[in-house]
Amino acid sequence: MPPTQLHFDRPNLSRRRFLQGTAAVLSGLALSGCGWTLADVRTTVKTAADVLYIYTWAGYTDRDLLDRFTAETGIRAIADVFSSNEEMLAKLQAGAGGAYSIIYPSDYMVIKMRDRNLLTELDRSKIVGLDRLYDRFQNPEYDPGDRYSVPLSWGTTGLIYNSKVLDPPPKDWDYLWENQEALYKRMTLLNDPRETIGAVLRMLGYSYNTKDPKAIERAYEKLLELKPAIASFDSDAWRSRIITGDLTVAMCYSSDANEVIPENEDLRYVLPKSGSSLWMDTLVIPASAPNPDAAYAWINFMLQPEVAAEICQRLSFATPNEAAFELLPSEVQNNVTLFPPNPALQNSESLIPLGENVTSIYDRYWTRLTSG
Amino acid sequence: MSVSTKPPLSPNSPPDSGKTPLGQQWLGPVALLGPAGLWLVVLLVLPTLVIFEISLVPDIVPGMKVIPSGLDNYLLAFDPLYIKVIFRSLFFALGTTALCLLLGFPVAYWIAILAPSRWRNLLLMGFVLPLWTSSLLRAYAWVTILRPTGVLNTVLGSIGLPGLELIDRPSAVLIGMSYDFLPYMVLILYSSLEKLDRQLLEASADLGATPLETFWKITVPQTAPGIAAGSLLVFISSLGDFVDPELLGGTSSGTVARLIYNQFLGQSPNWGFGSALSTILILVVSVSIALLLKYGDRDTQP
Amino acid sequence: MTESAKPLDPKTQSPDEESIPDMSNESRFSLSWQTLFAGAMFVFMYLPILILMVYSFNESAYSAGWEGFTLEWYRKLFGDPRILTALRNSVTVALCAVGVSAILGTLMAVGLARYQFFGKKLYQGIAYLPLIVPDIAIAVATLVFLAAVGIGLSLWTIVAAHIVFCLAYIAIAVSTRLADLDKHLEEAALDLGATPVQAFLQVLLPQLMPGIVSGCLIAFVLSMDDLLISSFTAGAGATTLPMEIFSRIRTAVKPDINALSVILITVSGILAFVAESLRYRSEQR
Repeated sequence: MPPTQLHFDRPNLSRRRFLQGTAAVLSGLALSGCGWTLADVRTTVKTAADVLYIYTWAGYTDRDLLDRFTAETGIRAIADVFSSNEEMLAKLQAGAGGAYSIIYPSDYMVIKMRDRNLLTELDRSKIVGLDRLYDRFQNPEYDPGDRYSVPLSWGTTGLIYNSKVLDPPPKDWDYLWENQEALYKRMTLLNDPRETIGAVLRMLGYSYNTKDPKAIERAYEKLLELKPAIASFDSDAWRSRIITGDLTVAMCYSSDANEVIPENEDLRYVLPKSGSSLWMDTLVIPASAPNPDAAYAWINFMLQPEVAAEICQRLSFATPNEAAFELLPSEVQNNVTLFPPNPALQNSESLIPLGENVTSIYDRYWTRLTSG
Repeated sequence: MSVSTKPPLSPNSPPDSGKTPLGQQWLGPVALLGPAGLWLVVLLVLPTLVIFEISLVPDIVPGMKVIPSGLDNYLLAFDPLYIKVIFRSLFFALGTTALCLLLGFPVAYWIAILAPSRWRNLLLMGFVLPLWTSSLLRAYAWVTILRPTGVLNTVLGSIGLPGLELIDRPSAVLIGMSYDFLPYMVLILYSSLEKLDRQLLEASADLGATPLETFWKITVPQTAPGIAAGSLLVFISSLGDFVDPELLGGTSSGTVARLIYNQFLGQSPNWGFGSALSTILILVVSVSIALLLKYGDRDTQP
Repeated sequence: MTESAKPLDPKTQSPDEESIPDMSNESRFSLSWQTLFAGAMFVFMYLPILILMVYSFNESAYSAGWEGFTLEWYRKLFGDPRILTALRNSVTVALCAVGVSAILGTLMAVGLARYQFFGKKLYQGIAYLPLIVPDIAIAVATLVFLAAVGIGLSLWTIVAAHIVFCLAYIAIAVSTRLADLDKHLEEAALDLGATPVQAFLQVLLPQLMPGIVSGCLIAFVLSMDDLLISSFTAGAGATTLPMEIFSRIRTAVKPDINALSVILITVSGILAFVAESLRYRSEQR
């Protein structure tokens, strides 16, 4: 705000005028009619045929990738980023999604979007290379028959910590509670209700997908206990803070951890013993996609083994693409942060949508936790 | 909006103004005020009406018919949880106001009264210049300074002092907000102090009053309208601040602005509740400004 | 500036100001606790900005310690297409919004000064409302309204929303200027046979220019700085600079933001200086 507007004694904004103005605005409010519909904005924004708008997670694309796509297809790709599935959905529903032809929702969000008729059923004849995916990633629970989504990247949720400070190292989620005082304001948890409440549920012996309100309440109370010691709930800002040493431990996604670890050799990632969520980020084409042909081109591009292998290394995420995996150098193949061995995944589960009622319980506790 | 028949210009306006057909009398006002008015109606008045209406619909989601059905969303704001958020916002706003007043008054007094008069404009301009830089970057600067291994602690450490833990706590929010809004306070206090009758100050001193007595009995009452205006402006600005609590506050610094944000772009959107909170915010701000204009600036009204 | 320094606000200027004896030495700063305190506050205002500037040249990416001078972050910044796209979006939004508001706002200020009409107070109240209502409320109202009428978000919805507040800032700067003007000039032009449009364009407008320009500069800086309203009204591909900075402050690993800060601070400093001196000069008359 600039200095000029700060003079209340300027001639323009005299007291009486203002009061009357306000009163009139208020009485105007009473005039509003009723019975109209709050549009569910799904207007298709017209985009040029050679432009593809992508809505993805921060760190899932970079300039080289977009440039390579343009070089191969002649289509210019523009990527916008979101930081959680829910934020992405909220933006779409607010009418900001009309131009996107490719979106990167996670597994459970695919179901949610499908149920709201936000997705295009994929035309399998236009997709090349789905058979390159590992069998276990084909025909997934969240999207039987791969009708709406193509798996792109998978991973776990765990803890990244500074091994110089934490000795002995954390093994499980309960480490945070046991060392609450030592970790005071030196830890962050994900800003994601399903992940964070879910991890505590797992620690308490429940499933990530429990619908038992009592269990959710217990998890909430446990988190409330920890809350004073938590620096913040965030899914992104922990990166630079853990590298500088401002944080000692942060809850994070395995792919993000793998990206950050090279920046500080003291950092380690641990998959908690009691279990973790096993997530899959996918490619979908929204129902309102203005440029589905470019979207299919992008899907086929990302399914190419060379491309998948390259971004797996450069952007650090675990590819479900068997052909791509085989192209990776062995040190990446043996990177347990990215590709945890099967036994370690025994306790892990995928998130599935819980229905409106249970979701609202989660939301209520989450709001209480983060706003209270 | 109807235009009165009063002639547009003073009596000795163009000779033909009296003969113009009725339609032409409208031309001037409509051409001058119409475009902006239309814009404001479409993008300010209607939107405000719309959120007011939406705020009367509980649990609305896009695609639903809007049928106002009650004050549920407003009652929800009285849930103990949200009351806590509202009180926290008020705490931040009041704390910031108090800090700005405390820090700003001596500065304004010094610039307006004690500093050499030829320097005054330059000093004032210099003090408010940081307002022009991005508020986001100013908050970010404080992150750089206050984080545990940041500039402050590095400096403290190098001179052998223990580090300070300020970030991710309410104290950091207060620091950031006070920094943001201090120039407003100084600017308004300055224009008020500058009008202060200096002869009164001298007379008071001549009559044997201590500087403190002069301050409380002359300076403060004389500048009360400025103090009120400055405080209110800082209060309102910090009440609606989003960036400082977000970047500096950590887990226990959720404010009303963040709460409203969450109702639209957060994890669990609730447009009706968000609209109700916005309506409350608009009303609180408008009413307090109206009160200030009614009681606060009598001496500046002709 | 000059020796005849006058108060910033012409209304507060008492005619016999120069005759009132000053309590201070006219030309020297005297050492008192107030001087020291004010000095400390000046340091407080500028220190954070200076720190950002200094660290933008620090070789070390993470530590607060100084590890040598580098221009690396600036090089990175100018090679970063996301930042450049965001910058282009922001400048487009600010130029369009300020351009439209300059015309609408000037017309509005002149209209408000010239005509009396029923509802004028309401009109003014609404026009200046964006000056006081928190951004978040305006942002929310605009978003809901656009959803209600079914308009998809894009870069142009940001422009439309920014015009609302730019309008207020420009109008207030212009009407301040108008209040100080000699009204008879325009009337004289009309008497001499100029059409109202000619009189407006050739007589009034040049006189209003300083007000318009300083209003535009303020509006431009504010539009470039806006985070909330843009976040709520931005469509695909319409990420503005503050949105990009906000997301970088949270996600970025490297401090190229520091370099960006320095550039932005320098540019807005220059704009601020131009605007303030224009205002100062116009109010000296």
